[in-house]
Amino acid sequence: MKAHALRFLGLVGRKVGLFVAIFLIASLALFTAIRAIPGDPVALRLKNPDPERVAQERARLGLDDPVIHQYVIYVKRFWTGDWGRSLLSARPVREDVSRYFPATLELSFCGLFLGILIGVLTAVFAEVFHLGILRRLSFLLGTIGLTLPIFWIGLLSLIVGSLWLGWFPGGGRFDFSLIKPANVTGFLTIDSLLEGDPVKLGAALNYLALPAFCLSFYPAAQVCSILRARLQDPHLVTLVAALRARGLGPVRIWMRHVLKVVSAPVVTVIGTNFGALLGGAVLTETVFSWPGLGRYMVTAVLDRDLYVVQNVLLLVILLVVSVVFLADFIAYLINPVAIRDSEGEES
Amino acid sequence: MSRRSIKGWSVTGVIAAVWMVWALTGLIYTPYDPQAQEFLDLRLSGFVSGHLFGVDGLGRDMLSRLWRGSGVTVVLGLLASSLTLLLASLLLAAERSGPLVLKKLIQGVVSIGIALPVLFVGLLFLVFLEPSPGTLVMAVAIGSVPFGYRQLRVLWAEQAGALHVAASRALGARRRHIVRFSIWPNARLQILSLARLLFAVGVLELSGLTFLGLTGDPDLPELGTILRHNQAYLFQEPSLVIWPGLFLSGLLLVVHLSNVRGRSTDKN
Repeated sequence: MKAHALRFLGLVGRKVGLFVAIFLIASLALFTAIRAIPGDPVALRLKNPDPERVAQERARLGLDDPVIHQYVIYVKRFWTGDWGRSLLSARPVREDVSRYFPATLELSFCGLFLGILIGVLTAVFAEVFHLGILRRLSFLLGTIGLTLPIFWIGLLSLIVGSLWLGWFPGGGRFDFSLIKPANVTGFLTIDSLLEGDPVKLGAALNYLALPAFCLSFYPAAQVCSILRARLQDPHLVTLVAALRARGLGPVRIWMRHVLKVVSAPVVTVIGTNFGALLGGAVLTETVFSWPGLGRYMVTAVLDRDLYVVQNVLLLVILLVVSVVFLADFIAYLINPVAIRDSEGEES
Repeated sequence: MSRRSIKGWSVTGVIAAVWMVWALTGLIYTPYDPQAQEFLDLRLSGFVSGHLFGVDGLGRDMLSRLWRGSGVTVVLGLLASSLTLLLASLLLAAERSGPLVLKKLIQGVVSIGIALPVLFVGLLFLVFLEPSPGTLVMAVAIGSVPFGYRQLRVLWAEQAGALHVAASRALGARRRHIVRFSIWPNARLQILSLARLLFAVGVLELSGLTFLGLTGDPDLPELGTILRHNQAYLFQEPSLVIWPGLFLSGLLLVVHLSNVRGRSTDKN
């Protein structure tokens, strides 16, 4: 037990060290990239005002200070949430992020949840019941999820779900004819639930359904493929046979033993693919006119809204890295042996 | 390799090759100019005489746009995947010949780089470079390096630890000789498979970036850009969205299936 705790602490230490290193590399890359852009960012920001005003603004922002000092200020401002003001919206970047980020997270979490559900059910039924049709279905799911472009799946689902069937709206996040629920979490589904209004909840779910369905294909394919591979593992088959020979019931075998062995790699895969999920969310937001962080960021990049770009990109990178590490910790807690083995293979 | 495996690979492989050749032909020949707005009276039509895939919202022949677009997509995908393979090989060589610190650093950066979506790498590139197909190719190539490097590393470890390589080493063969006569003949099919995989990944990521409108040229006949443009007519003429998606997905599917088939026949 003590050895496990020490190993876990070692893992935490390594990941924290790596997190700091990644933060330094990412922040330095962004800091350098922004400063490598030709032209004066202040002149761009102030839309070519007089030189005196530019000099004042440069001094205020610390742009005449030594570069190292500027970098330290940038890092300090990032951690204190002082992210400057957006050129486009003229609002503080932090305010914009708190407005758009929950929309992206709501979409990503729903897509992820749906994907895990579909992936696990398909893989488990295909392998446990050995049905040919389910095996073919899981192959199809893997092929669609990993090869078809998510934005085309989105456009097709709009054609079918909105144009042909008329069951879902053609885009957006909430019905304009309804008053939005009071902002508590920023997740419209949860806020509608908290308000106890079934009409608003229904509207929020109706708008969320198609984008989440599209986004779920990729995690479903990943989960299904890794889970099927684990369930086909000859070691696992032997383990199940041995446990059955010891007189254990199927529920106990599956819930206490098999789940422990197969869920750790699934958690790791979900963590590693969270970044891809966020990338998919950006495309899905574009297809469904979903007012999320992805669309905000793409617009900022195209319009050179530098404060938005350097802070939001860094935020996304740190979020992705944090989720990867969190998944590693959870996987370790579920099955320390598997993670130790895979780390050994890595080195 | 057995006769059956050669046959098995060739079915999907030939389809992929034919598709590629057809797509590349679109770079030099199309029935109409893919950018000329010649058929304004037939705007937003589906199949009409002389226009197999209809005419888009700006009066351009869709077949010509799809044909040229497929060619452009294939060329951009080939460029991106070749660059990825080159950079991943250089990184692997640096890791193998460099000091331990460099090895650890490369592994650490790659383990995180693999979790970062290529799309964000592309956005980062576009902060300080002008949006253009070249910028996107570079972004996709560099963004895919961690994935390519990991695959190459596994491949290298597999080959370097093989018994025939150990035997050659024991017989006193030189490093270059081992690479040329022991590793390369056994690894080339796997490298080809990796190249196909990188090509599919490259096309998928590139089309995602172009769909977001990051090419710098909204008129570029490329499948992602065509989809982006035709999205505006989704509810008026759905076929304008269905066809470009089918062309793109067909390409990716054929490459993916030829890879799956290739890998399974390699194992046999």
